[in-house]
Amino acid sequence: MNRVKVLQAWLWCVSLWPVWLSHAVPLDCKDETGSLIQCTSISQEKLLDRVIQHAELIYRVSEESCTLFEQMFVPYPLHALRNQGGTMCHTKPFPIPGSKSEIQQISDKWLLHSVLMLVQSWMEPLIYLQTTLNRYDDAPDALLNKTKWVSDKLLSLEQGVVVLIRKMLDEGILTPSIFEHTLTPYDEPSPEIPESVLRDYNLLICFKKDAHKMETFLKLLKCRQSNKLSCLSY
Amino acid sequence: MAYSLSLGLLYLGLLCGNGLVSARSELFTPDPSRGPHFTGCRSREQETFRCWWSAGIFQNLTEPGALRVFYRTKNALSEWQECPDYTHTVKNECYFNKTFTHIWTSYCIQLRSVRENITYDETCFTVENIVHPDPPIGLNWTLLNVSRSGLHFDILVRWAPPPSADVQTGWMSLVYQVQYRVRNASHWEMLDLESGTQQSIYGLHTDKEYEVRVRCKMSAFDNFGEFGDSILVHVAQIPSKESTFPMTLVLIFGVIGLVILLVLLIFSQQQRLMVIFLPPIPAPKIKGIDPELLKNGKLDQLNSLLSSQDMYKPDFYHEDPWVEFIQLDLDDPAEKNESSDTQHLLGLSRSGSSHVLNFKSDDDSGRASCYDPEIPNPEDLASLLPGHSGRGDNLPLVSRSSLSIPDLGVQQTSEVEETPIQTQPAVPSWVNMDFYAQVSDFTPAGGVVLSPGQLNSSPEKKKEEENEKKIQFQLVSDGAYTSENTARQLSAEVPPSPGPEQEYQTFPTQAVEGNLWNGEYLVSTSDSQIPYLLPEATPAPILPPVSDYTVVQEVDAQHSLLLNPPSSQPAICPHSPNKHLPAMPTMPMGYLTPDLLGNLTP
Repeated sequence: MNRVKVLQAWLWCVSLWPVWLSHAVPLDCKDETGSLIQCTSISQEKLLDRVIQHAELIYRVSEESCTLFEQMFVPYPLHALRNQGGTMCHTKPFPIPGSKSEIQQISDKWLLHSVLMLVQSWMEPLIYLQTTLNRYDDAPDALLNKTKWVSDKLLSLEQGVVVLIRKMLDEGILTPSIFEHTLTPYDEPSPEIPESVLRDYNLLICFKKDAHKMETFLKLLKCRQSNKLSCLSY
Repeated sequence: MAYSLSLGLLYLGLLCGNGLVSARSELFTPDPSRGPHFTGCRSREQETFRCWWSAGIFQNLTEPGALRVFYRTKNALSEWQECPDYTHTVKNECYFNKTFTHIWTSYCIQLRSVRENITYDETCFTVENIVHPDPPIGLNWTLLNVSRSGLHFDILVRWAPPPSADVQTGWMSLVYQVQYRVRNASHWEMLDLESGTQQSIYGLHTDKEYEVRVRCKMSAFDNFGEFGDSILVHVAQIPSKESTFPMTLVLIFGVIGLVILLVLLIFSQQQRLMVIFLPPIPAPKIKGIDPELLKNGKLDQLNSLLSSQDMYKPDFYHEDPWVEFIQLDLDDPAEKNESSDTQHLLGLSRSGSSHVLNFKSDDDSGRASCYDPEIPNPEDLASLLPGHSGRGDNLPLVSRSSLSIPDLGVQQTSEVEETPIQTQPAVPSWVNMDFYAQVSDFTPAGGVVLSPGQLNSSPEKKKEEENEKKIQFQLVSDGAYTSENTARQLSAEVPPSPGPEQEYQTFPTQAVEGNLWNGEYLVSTSDSQIPYLLPEATPAPILPPVSDYTVVQEVDAQHSLLLNPPSSQPAICPHSPNKHLPAMPTMPMGYLTPDLLGNLTP
């Protein structure tokens, strides 16, 4: 079981190697004049803390956005959809384990990469979500602001995770930015509002679930970093 | 297409399973009216979960094994599997242990009767959405502080996360909610969600027993767990005296210091304060001549003043007042403004300054009462006399009510007699000598007894009377402070002194009849009718029969009384010495009410 998974992960990394090469995104620091200078360093723990804070905030905001959307546009009987955690979330290139035992057996590297992958997979759908939400007649401003905010925060989260990977794993991974999504965005809104509403609702639910995953992984990682013994055993 | 189809199917499925999963948290109470259905699924720690069901109305399915639970995860479209573990100890419970619990995956469970191959109920959920954490443990409190008054206190409440929840590894992030209430009250106070394991509660009352409890839920989820055990908080009230002690000391010292300051202030500024708080009562002019007047006063004023004294011969003033009057008549421009009767009548041209109370020395027509030509109301006089100024406009004929309507004068004939004491330019009414009568005597009560204007007849006596009256008036008028009693006393004390009887002239009343405002200033209409008594410089015209009473029409700045001629009617009631007030009983002391005014105006 584990071997299969390890093989899968390795295959994934290898297959995406050329993609990573083609998108070199060096993290450079620039001062006021614009010239490249040595970036000020930050300790790994602090960075991890900040990344976790980002993930927590994103998760909370995603939940609030979901609630806002649900209150405005989704009729009450369909609120149960939320309990189901989304029906049509787009599948990831690799499955993420769901049980605690399995997750605890995942390596740090795996955790970080999973987080990174999750973050990157949501960048485009969120932008799409912003455009669709703008088409709603009475979308509350809070909802629009939140989705916009989340998009921005995802970018910075991605950068943080990349730096973490570089620091913790000593890997110089260049962030790939293109992922295939099973959920293709529609260019035009569907004439039937409920369908597009359902779709957006679903999107928000799936995003909330994935944000929860990110946060959980990062927290597990932190526990491992601080206190390896108690975190690994349960 | 497939997508929309699946969505539609999902919608339908949701509606079917709505009863179970419509709310976030499932209820445990089975619905007896329904058939077999799931009553709830719960996870305590996000690692395992349980589901319960009920047979409902189908009692024949209650035996174990009749109803079975099948589940399916939606990760990969796996087939339906049966419940991994039916709990033996609890009836109708299906338990999913750690290996079967996957978070972030959708589970669908079905309640089937295998024998009949019927699916009675189905519901779908994800595990993290059904997590109800266990209650926190180890709830305790410590006192933070007590307010200075001893009435309020703050506490810090602490707890520990439930042991089943793996918070340490970060598997679950919990937030807590503290609630408290006064013991046995019905309403719980809720505090904000707290992600730490302690919270302060502020503003609790001493002497009240409080109950505090706490519960938790996963952050960004909605399902609260059960409450933990409540704890009791109670702080006895301690009356603290230490805090009040310095306060009282400070107060005492402050008060003492203030008192000392005040005393010092008073003693240092004694003279000034005396002047401010206890202004000197104006000395009666009778005692001497005002030196200021000597310096600054006009001749007329001086004359009038000196005439009130004993030292001058009364004859000396026979001419002067007359002359004065004439002079005044010419000099005073204000008089010309007041020249028309109508103006007086309307009282428009004279703004309140002229408080001229015209006493029409009219006949008693229209007035059944007797008018009492006694000493005028001291208060009225006081207002009359120009303590204010000697100007004509300020001629204060009684202005009790603030009316400057000439009508006032009319009614006053019976009540207040005011003899305008005119020595000055201020008194334009001097034009009409008709308005004067000689004061012949002062009644013991302080009334003025006027004699008809036989100027030459016993002028001395008249002067004396006039002087007496004048003095009395002066006394009365000096400052509005003298009361009626004082006036009486003064009148009693004052020795008769010669005065310019020319200043007192009678004014026949009958002329008043047609004119409301005959009296004071103009002779115009009444001239022909009203005989007036002039000082001996001018021959007196036909004088009305001498009566003992007349009406004081005006008191000028010089404390001269301008008297109305006495009524020509025989029906002159003897004055009642005991009454200062006019015969009209309803009239207050010198105060004219509009209705009375109406009564009086002829």
